[in-house]
Amino acid sequence: MQAIKASSFHLPRLNPVALITLAAASLIGAPVAIAILTGVIGGGGDAWLHIVSTQLLGYTMTTLAVIGLTATLILLFAVPTAWFVSLNEFPGRGFFEWALILPLAAPGYVLAYAWADAADVAGPIQSLLRDVTGLSARDYWFPSVYSIPGLSFVMASALFPYAYLTARAAFSNLSLCTMEAARSLGASPRRLFLQVALPAARPAIFAGLALALMETAADYGAASYLGVQTLSVGIFRAWHSFSEPAVAARLAVLLILIAFGLQFIERVARGRGGIQQTATRWRTPRRQKLGPVAGWGVAIGCTLVLMLSFVIPVSRLIWVSAETGLGQGQIVRPFLNSLTLALAGSAFAFVLALTITIGARQNRFSQFIGRFAAGAGYAAPGIVLALGALFILSWTGFSVAGPAALIFLVWIYASRFTAAGAEPLNAAFSRAPASLGNAARSLGASRFQRLVRVDLPVAMSGASAAAIILFVETLKELPATLMLRPFNWDTLAVQAFAYASDERLAAATLPSLLITAAGLGPVVLLSLQLTRAGQSRAAG
Amino acid sequence: MKTTMKTIASVSFTALLAACSDGGTAPAASDDGTLSDAAVESGETTGSIQAGSKGTLNIYSARHYDSDKLMYEAFEDQTGIRVRFREAGANQLLETMRAEGENSPADLIIASDAGALWRFKDASLTQPLPEGEFEQLIPERLLEPGRQWVGLARRIRGVAYDPERISPDQVDEWQDLADPSLEGEICVRSSTNIYNLSLMAEMIEKWGAEEAQSWADAVVTNMARTPQGGDTDQVEAVAAGLCSVAITNHYYWVRMTQSGSNATREAAAATQIAFPSFGEGEGIHVNITGVAMAANAQNKNEAMQFVDYLLSSDGQHRLVDETKEIPVIEDVTWPKGLDAIPEFEDSDTPLDTFGERQSEAQRIYDEAGWN
Repeated sequence: MQAIKASSFHLPRLNPVALITLAAASLIGAPVAIAILTGVIGGGGDAWLHIVSTQLLGYTMTTLAVIGLTATLILLFAVPTAWFVSLNEFPGRGFFEWALILPLAAPGYVLAYAWADAADVAGPIQSLLRDVTGLSARDYWFPSVYSIPGLSFVMASALFPYAYLTARAAFSNLSLCTMEAARSLGASPRRLFLQVALPAARPAIFAGLALALMETAADYGAASYLGVQTLSVGIFRAWHSFSEPAVAARLAVLLILIAFGLQFIERVARGRGGIQQTATRWRTPRRQKLGPVAGWGVAIGCTLVLMLSFVIPVSRLIWVSAETGLGQGQIVRPFLNSLTLALAGSAFAFVLALTITIGARQNRFSQFIGRFAAGAGYAAPGIVLALGALFILSWTGFSVAGPAALIFLVWIYASRFTAAGAEPLNAAFSRAPASLGNAARSLGASRFQRLVRVDLPVAMSGASAAAIILFVETLKELPATLMLRPFNWDTLAVQAFAYASDERLAAATLPSLLITAAGLGPVVLLSLQLTRAGQSRAAG
Repeated sequence: MKTTMKTIASVSFTALLAACSDGGTAPAASDDGTLSDAAVESGETTGSIQAGSKGTLNIYSARHYDSDKLMYEAFEDQTGIRVRFREAGANQLLETMRAEGENSPADLIIASDAGALWRFKDASLTQPLPEGEFEQLIPERLLEPGRQWVGLARRIRGVAYDPERISPDQVDEWQDLADPSLEGEICVRSSTNIYNLSLMAEMIEKWGAEEAQSWADAVVTNMARTPQGGDTDQVEAVAAGLCSVAITNHYYWVRMTQSGSNATREAAAATQIAFPSFGEGEGIHVNITGVAMAANAQNKNEAMQFVDYLLSSDGQHRLVDETKEIPVIEDVTWPKGLDAIPEFEDSDTPLDTFGERQSEAQRIYDEAGWN
């Protein structure tokens, strides 16, 4: 008892909410913790020394280069489009406003298959180039998709909507007063963007960017297909080619550190920057109508982003699929498997995300432990979590092939993606006035009453966004599913990956397109909902 | 509960690592053969045909073909044995089995490339196959000396070349690919791929490490681009004119000739396939897809029934008709499209050497800068 008393200085009040948050955080963090612990305890012996001396620097530098380049491309794709869509009027604006979220439905590895095929020396783009110019394949240089820039481009295409969404929300929420004041002081649109809007929106943009970059760091499917030796690929190699799970776990620690670094940078950026919006008039500022040249220029820019990130690669897959005809493969079962697992995984993740988000409102300890666990889970690649789960399975004597593995898989999904679900829930709180809680308190509401009658309803306003993001992310998950699925439980992602790695792109197209299609519905829903929310605010 | 302590011990990392280092010492079973034969017979004469009534068979397969699923179903229909399968990369299956330890439900392991099967054997995840009629049907080389696996289908690593730039005698032997006249002409995938590792392993076996090293060095000089993509991508690069020789397994090229895509068929038609030898009278690189009995197999009778099925005419057709591999049973007709490959003679290199020399092969590639 003494020990607990002493430590309660740091653990302010172990009320039920804090305890539940702690339990949720433990569930989220356990697979990561176990994987890391086994890595540290198990040691690595010669293989670890070998990898440290020959591979580690390469893996790390490659990962950092991919992260840096992807970040640049995401900002390039997301910020200007979000700015113009939110605050300007131009041809097709209404369409782009929601269509630019669509790429979220296509997993990075699917875009990698498509681009690797389309941009290959024998692919349609280079063939056309040769036909038009009369050059031979040896006469010109063409960027290779099988490269760090290629991977970065593919990851940015798949993930920029995260930053686009947060940036768009921030730009739309800019205080009317601030904008009008700046305008009336004669600020040019450029100055308005660079010196008023961008600094104000920076924290939101960074939040979206951090999510996208952590996802990039954890990617296995695209990097391995494109032969880029990132840490994630190195983790797989250490485990599968060198048979050194402990070394894999050690590499994972490094990857998690990088992801935490990203989170730290994001926090710093958020803490320092951000102009506090105090104005109560939360109306979307009036959209500036662009001149015809600028308007069409912007429309072409938005078209280009949408074409490159989504339309061209997906069309290529549709083309290949149509050209070669449908295989005799079983597709219904994997489709249902994917849906079942994604629903179960996202439901569990949603509950955990809600728990830690609400918990974070209660005290700093809950906030810290929840964020820490969710951040660690999100930062850990699926394979690391699967590694942790495999050990728990083995300890408890369960068969990896049995129904228990399904429960573990759902658990891993939750551990992996809770952070992505918590983000929209958190955002719901940042949209609500901070005075809401204080008002409730001054009205004499108890802690519990405030939780149920203030915090929960506020969080639920971000619920559909959270649920949709969780569903789509779980649907796209590859490495953990690859490791943990029981007998006869292939998902679309697993099928697509197996076929594509087996050099049968035609066979991989159908599952790839089905994942995208299954994700597209929810993404459109999310997109329309967010767009409508923006409009109603603008109207109100 | 009693298994818990045992499992903890068996799956702890130290145990895993230890198992890794003392590989190749799989226990020899002696009485399995007779036992299983008797059981198979009784299984065939009793019971109804209803699926599920005759037990279950758990297969870990490194293949991903729709035709395999149909093959499992055909076997289920014939025998009433329920087949459960798990497909993943060979290395991944191997690590899964390691982690599962004694809990592993795997009965059979199917993997492509002798080098991959060797890894399972080396990790003590296999056990000797019981004696059976099947061994009369296949060439001796296809049964691992310790009976740890048996070959089911053959696959040849060769080259596809541009006949307008290259004459057949420029790709007659693997040594020809090291010739300076082919500078900037070769397209090939990454050396970490098992097909390249097994090819190099046989070179080391035939030529010795030193000559194999200088071959790898010269081929790196002759590459048209840094290794990327798969075998199909290399053949397509030849057709597109980027290079004129692509190293590829025969079935990728054959599948291209049968593709539903015009562009792919045209690409294959623009190239010729050849099987370079390791030198005069030294043979070509013939690898296999094979099957092994998992060390902790619980359904050995069902497993052996399936092995027999795989080596039956029906099983062979279902195994190779879609993959375009080459059957191992003599009178089985070859899959459509295989008539386009040149005649060849089977190699006599022990298939185990592909695995035994794997790490040496990787070192040679690494040394040569073949990524």
